[in-house]
Amino acid sequence: MALVYVLEDDEIMGELFKKYLRGLCKVKVFQDAISAISEISDDKPSLIFLDILLTGPDGFTFLNEVVSYEDTAKIPVVIVTSLDLKTDNLKNYNVVKILKKDELVPDDIKNLACEFLEPKNA
Amino acid sequence: MQEVDNIFVAAHELKSPLSLLRQLALSMEIDDQISLKRTQSRMVEVSERALRQVNDLTKVSRLEDGLFELEPVSIRAVCNEVTNELRYLYRANHRDIFEKYTNHSKLVIANRELLYSVIYNFCSNAMHYSDAGTRARIFVRDRKGKVEIQVRDYGPALPTKIWKDLNHGWLREPTSVAMRPGSSGLGLYIASKFSRYMHGEVSAVRHRDGTSFTLILPVSTQTSLFGE
Repeated sequence: MALVYVLEDDEIMGELFKKYLRGLCKVKVFQDAISAISEISDDKPSLIFLDILLTGPDGFTFLNEVVSYEDTAKIPVVIVTSLDLKTDNLKNYNVVKILKKDELVPDDIKNLACEFLEPKNA
Repeated sequence: MQEVDNIFVAAHELKSPLSLLRQLALSMEIDDQISLKRTQSRMVEVSERALRQVNDLTKVSRLEDGLFELEPVSIRAVCNEVTNELRYLYRANHRDIFEKYTNHSKLVIANRELLYSVIYNFCSNAMHYSDAGTRARIFVRDRKGKVEIQVRDYGPALPTKIWKDLNHGWLREPTSVAMRPGSSGLGLYIASKFSRYMHGEVSAVRHRDGTSFTLILPVSTQTSLFGE
């Protein structure tokens, strides 16, 4: 089963991600960037859902770290935030979509997971 | 301009619980009977947090009218009331809180409502920003004619910018950057305003494994009436 990382400091929101993705993939929730960075080289995800305002180093620090290594640079990232951000400015970080926390519905998460976790050569 | 900035920060801070409530409501569609109960209690928890913030903001706007009387208040009673209210939430989140009192001065000069808000804010922060399995601590002790109330948490330390601002006296404004996860520092700003109104001092100490927030209040001389 494919692995998805969720970087989300709000415990309740983290639980909701798990609920939305149940049965589709394995989900690991991290409440801060440091713990995700320390695990990512050993256990690479196929997709990352990333909140920007995190404890300590923020989501941008995480993006810089991920994109700087060859083995993680191509992992698609979906930003889930309440900030106003544009995908155009973040293309170099492999950000494929930005979801606004106040607008997203559970199917947005599910559909993105299905889209990016599907085998491309099928 | 400052006022506009503050409104922006307040609006942004309230957006988080509202977005979360919306998300919890949407998630009920896929809940079974057991998780429905859990979602419901999460919704109550989140809305109570938001309501408390709105109430505190309302109080901030009333501070200038001087509507909050200062009077002798039992510090222990207020701390007990706060911990009793929060204890079940702490336990539900796999954390705990305990109190330690070494103060001989039982009464401080404060406004009970504002004092409750300040201590609640510190303790609620301590719960949100403590790691699971840890115990936050309220420590009340005498400090040269004053009483010190300290709330210690075990989680991410306070960012240095906020720490510096706070230790220069008080927070003049909420910050536009995240103070700690999911927070713009609005709660701390409100606590700082309330403390100043009560002639108290707020400060913070950064630890390697968390933060201590301290409020120092003047002792009420009426303490002597209680044979102390």
